[in-house]
Amino acid sequence: METQVGIAAAAVTLPARRRDVGSLFQEESAILNPDIAARLGIEEVPICNGESASAMALAACQEALRRAELDVAQLDVIVDYTILPQEYLVPAWNMSNKLQHELGAKKALTVGFSGGGATNFLVALSSAAAMLQANEKLMSALLVAADVTIPGNRILNPSDPVSVLGDAAGAMVLKKRGKGSVLIDTGLHTDGSHHDVCYIPGGALAHPDDPALYRMELDKERFDKAPKSETLNDMLGTLLTRAGVEREDVVFALYPNLSREDQQQFADGMGFSADQINSDNRKYHGHLQGTDFVINYLSMIESGTVDKGQHFLAASHGMGFLAGVSLLEL
Amino acid sequence: MNTGIGIVGASYYLPPKRKAVTDIFRDEQIPAEPLAANVDFQRDIGIEAVHVASEESATSLGLNASRSVLEKTGIDPAEIDLIIDFTSIPEEYIAPTWSAAGIVQKEIGATDAFVTAVNTGGCASYHTTLKVACSLMAAHDRYRTALLFAGDKVPEFNHTYYPITVICDGGSAVILKKGHEKQQILSVEVATLGKLHDVWYIPGFHRRDPADKDRKWLHMTANIPKFNQEVIPMNLFMFRKVMRGALNLAGRKQQEVAYYIYPTFSTWDQKAFCQAFMVAPEKVFTDGLQRHGHLQETDMVLDYIDAIDEGHIKEGDLVMLTTNGAGFSWGAALIQH
Repeated sequence: METQVGIAAAAVTLPARRRDVGSLFQEESAILNPDIAARLGIEEVPICNGESASAMALAACQEALRRAELDVAQLDVIVDYTILPQEYLVPAWNMSNKLQHELGAKKALTVGFSGGGATNFLVALSSAAAMLQANEKLMSALLVAADVTIPGNRILNPSDPVSVLGDAAGAMVLKKRGKGSVLIDTGLHTDGSHHDVCYIPGGALAHPDDPALYRMELDKERFDKAPKSETLNDMLGTLLTRAGVEREDVVFALYPNLSREDQQQFADGMGFSADQINSDNRKYHGHLQGTDFVINYLSMIESGTVDKGQHFLAASHGMGFLAGVSLLEL
Repeated sequence: MNTGIGIVGASYYLPPKRKAVTDIFRDEQIPAEPLAANVDFQRDIGIEAVHVASEESATSLGLNASRSVLEKTGIDPAEIDLIIDFTSIPEEYIAPTWSAAGIVQKEIGATDAFVTAVNTGGCASYHTTLKVACSLMAAHDRYRTALLFAGDKVPEFNHTYYPITVICDGGSAVILKKGHEKQQILSVEVATLGKLHDVWYIPGFHRRDPADKDRKWLHMTANIPKFNQEVIPMNLFMFRKVMRGALNLAGRKQQEVAYYIYPTFSTWDQKAFCQAFMVAPEKVFTDGLQRHGHLQETDMVLDYIDAIDEGHIKEGDLVMLTTNGAGFSWGAALIQH
């Protein structure tokens, strides 16, 4: 990568209403015992109370653009990394176009990506950076997502819970040759045999009519067996070699807030200590899909954990389907 | 500008079953009155029959096209670094949570690839995907060979996008390679008008009326007054904008374009394009309209292949692929043969 692309600013919108996970488990007829509570490490999650996904996204975008001091009329690309169903059926409709209009980003072109769980954020990050690098005229990009959970579907895999889903929107502004964290490289790898480890079986062509199938389902057995941290470890090794950066020079990791157990497995597998990963956001917001990266990035900056010039990474196993690792420098 | 990326090959797949448009109009209860003084939708559409997937899945349409292009080009699936699904209507499972790209990766054995799906652009999603794929390939050495595919299957009784066209089911696939010297992609330009985001849309399961037994919530829905008032006045202006953009990026002039690939919507739409841009009708591939009608974003691939195979595009020709998409998106790409 010859032309540097940096993160100029980021912002998150969280709905004001919050629910404790105990009441959510009760509502969804799932069992919450001390063992499950310890594995999840999630106490409460933000939940929409009438707010629309695109309204939350608009607020996050406006704040991110304000922080980046970028005139929206100059914005070149809008990239949507939402992973949950949107206001109309995707891919026939995509929120990025509604946002283009509501923001007044008249010259921007819009793109959206599907699949890969939280890793969809890294797909958006890598693709947006490539568009800025490969196209002379394109100078800035806005990454955005708004994920609102399907009603009654907050406990992922209720029979053996893996996470609790919150509602949120996130936005991040990238600038070519801008100040802020620099994206050094991103590795992405997919295992197509795991395309249906985590998906919504109903509501489209395969099972259009069954309301019981219109919910996020996880195949826990295949999820558990998928080589998640091993794959990420190998990918990080490749990225570091390519960038000429030593492993010990990576001082922090942005990682999804799926659960305490999942974060621990990642830390153990990658050789990170507990203070090199943010756990507070997991505890108080649960899993916000790709917006986990944005909220964890903001917390990392605010905490001052990483100094200017130090390296950090963003990594996600994408539920065993789409693994991604980005190497960045503050 | 020259992306340094060429089209190694392209293929399409059409399911064998066909349905006459007269039967489609009858089954879908399409209005019989003329659209305008000189345009009668049913009489003038110019489409005789469309292909219907029936029991074949949307994914299988894209997969068949992908297998076909691999066979045609002799590319080893292990060489493929990047797979992008550019389907523009719903597939087997809900997007953006899922796309067919994972199944295609698994079935063709492209074990080293990174796969994703571009989920915006409507019928211009091929252009949006070309823009993304060419950017990734230009920015990274590790993306050298890419497979782009789409598989579109409309729900039963949703073949007519009134008052625009009649939809055919089918799939398409294209292989791009960095450094491929033939069929070079010189430039890709995409423009979107976000205020038109809801002219064409599919309501979705969460908006369904439980009393709706015809699954209208899964059908493409048009805001026709908005289409007439806001899309029609902008359409040719936006075509001009993206075609000029693609020409400027490549440093070429409109007079140098030897052939155009344009969507197969209707006779009156093709005529309006030729008149507006003073393009001779023989420089635009129109034969596909009668044969199969409109295949969403796959029009750009299918008509391109047929135009080459039938001798309309020759060595040395500069080819413009241009389309609009879902009322809000326009794309243009220049290919040097």
